[in-house]
Amino acid sequence: MKIERVERIKKTTAVHLAMEAKEALKKITEDFPDNPDTMGYFYSLLHKFYIQGEMPNDCSEVIGTMCIQVPEELIYASGARPVRICSGSYVYDQTGAEFMHAKSCSLVKATLGMLNIKNMPFKDSLSAIVVATTCDQKKKAASMLEDIGYKTYVLEMPSIKDSEEARVYWQSSVKNFAAALEDMSGNRITKKGLSEAVMKANRARAEFRRFNNLRKGAHNLIYGKDAFVVANGYFFDKIEHWTDALAKLNAELEQREAKGVCVANKHAPRILFTGSPAIFPNLKLPLLIEQSGGVIVADEMCSSSRLLYDPISFDEGNLYDMIPAVADRYLKPCTCPCFVKNDDRKRKLKEMAKEFGVDGVVYQAFSGCNPYEMEHKAIAKMLETEGVPMLYIETDYSPEDTGQLSTRVEAFMESIKNRKRSKLQRGIS
Amino acid sequence: MSVKYFAGIDIGSTAIKIVLIDEAGNIVAHQTSPTGSQFHKNTLDSFHALLERTGTNKNNVAYITATGYGRKLFKEADEFVSEITANAAGARIIGKDCGTVRTIINIGGQDSKAIMLDDDGHVRNFAMNDKCAAGTGRFLEMTARNLGVKVDELGDLHLNAKGVPLTINSTCTVFAESEIISLLASGHEREEIIAGVQYSIAKRIVRLAKRIGIEDMVFFDGGPAMNKGLVAAMEDELLRNVIVPEIPQITTAIGAALIAKEAFLAEGGKVHA
Repeated sequence: MKIERVERIKKTTAVHLAMEAKEALKKITEDFPDNPDTMGYFYSLLHKFYIQGEMPNDCSEVIGTMCIQVPEELIYASGARPVRICSGSYVYDQTGAEFMHAKSCSLVKATLGMLNIKNMPFKDSLSAIVVATTCDQKKKAASMLEDIGYKTYVLEMPSIKDSEEARVYWQSSVKNFAAALEDMSGNRITKKGLSEAVMKANRARAEFRRFNNLRKGAHNLIYGKDAFVVANGYFFDKIEHWTDALAKLNAELEQREAKGVCVANKHAPRILFTGSPAIFPNLKLPLLIEQSGGVIVADEMCSSSRLLYDPISFDEGNLYDMIPAVADRYLKPCTCPCFVKNDDRKRKLKEMAKEFGVDGVVYQAFSGCNPYEMEHKAIAKMLETEGVPMLYIETDYSPEDTGQLSTRVEAFMESIKNRKRSKLQRGIS
Repeated sequence: MSVKYFAGIDIGSTAIKIVLIDEAGNIVAHQTSPTGSQFHKNTLDSFHALLERTGTNKNNVAYITATGYGRKLFKEADEFVSEITANAAGARIIGKDCGTVRTIINIGGQDSKAIMLDDDGHVRNFAMNDKCAAGTGRFLEMTARNLGVKVDELGDLHLNAKGVPLTINSTCTVFAESEIISLLASGHEREEIIAGVQYSIAKRIVRLAKRIGIEDMVFFDGGPAMNKGLVAAMEDELLRNVIVPEIPQITTAIGAALIAKEAFLAEGGKVHA
């Protein structure tokens, strides 16, 4: 293609992306009163990244990751910054349509579309992309990225996570990855470097757990859309800055709790959101839920709570122990539906529904996202026995089904409210 | 003190349905008119016409609940409620004489739904068609247009079909249209084509309903439920009889009116009854 034409495509797409992001950000900030002041950091983070097209905070080398299974501590220890490159943009979903058939997953298409246009704020520092062998579409995307011209590292993952063989296989896979990172960066991964990386990642996760704990109370201190914004910021922000900003937000939420400030009344349906990841700007469904009077109090998604949950622990501070400890953190607690057996996800959702006092679950599956589509019935069945209603929504990044979705979401919220009212009346009589 | 009335307004993609109930919950009047392109104006006009026709003073309408696709545009309403909740509330009351309604199948102008009710008559689960308009009223309109008949003739023509209904394979409205044209071109009777189309709609909706489970009694409403051929096809596909209300189009508006009354009472309003 002629250079001039490529430049024009880049320019037009940047405009479209900025428009899309601006609209989403406007809904997030303006449609809701009482946004915490300290959310300002995260709103401006998204504004800078998506609308102005700038990378927040300095960074020299970026390793793009297409999955939360990629151990970010190793990337930090090799001197680079991991950036989660899964895209939530409908604009890129459309430009990525040339790589995959129309029925494939929006997320993978959008990520390919974005990487093909090469207009990301971190494009000049991106040295390699790491793709884990999770779903078929991501596997195939890995080879397409190579064809586009990216240095692509494929991180091999087992399809079963509970066998000893799988553990050994995964540990060697992570070791190989560590060695590859050293080759790519020319830096050694040292004991000191890795323990510092583990510490900063653990600190970030501890802060996110504190944040989630604050969402457990009956007070509804913050909307779920803000939780997604916070988690999305983690994708590309400098981790120390992000953690500090979240600590400030947590402090503000604690003050709100003490003062009794809440964003929604105590009868608002409390929703647990699960399924295909919610990534900005595609917060279509979470926003519909909260515009219909619900509050997303928890999520079980690889774009937020699953990404930022478990810490790494190791006893002996030597590299031989540390790398397997890092590997274990990434395999065992993972509740991704790409594994053959996934009872952990059911258990996790059941626990979360109880802990967070959830009234209903909304399950988002992107059309073409086979693992999540296929697991929804088993999850629905489990939740039914627990007496928790579930709304299953199959959608994609396009906004054209918003009208129909809003009817469904509103009806679900109304049915939860009626159920709560009946329960209350039975309690009285 | 004057008598109070409660209004349910269902602004659908094809028709605006308005129902007025009194304090005892009896239907006082109802009206159906085409939606057109000016949702808000047409709804307001229709509402005023209904009031005038029945000699009702606007001030006596104590509470208005709007539902349906265009509900948010009708700012005069006191409350909005989704058509799923309103449909459930209406079907629960209308179907009461025949027993307890457990499943509702509704075909609208641009969507179709299956709703499952719990013991209290509240929505327990529901399924809805996705983006496309296959298996909805639009599909019937397209069929009628291609065959040069009126939508309200489809039912009788279906029942007059002499042979076995023809198979329509496409569920997409656009593809089905070309399939119908090629069936006509190869000399098939329009009655058999209509029966085939209606079976294909029934099959599609029953498949949708199976996702949430079908339990007796099944209540079938929405404009297309006036079509007797479609009702017959639905009963065949469901392997059971369905209850079709006297005026299938207004169930959701009735539900909205009942919700209006409840909301009025919940907000501290008083009625004589």
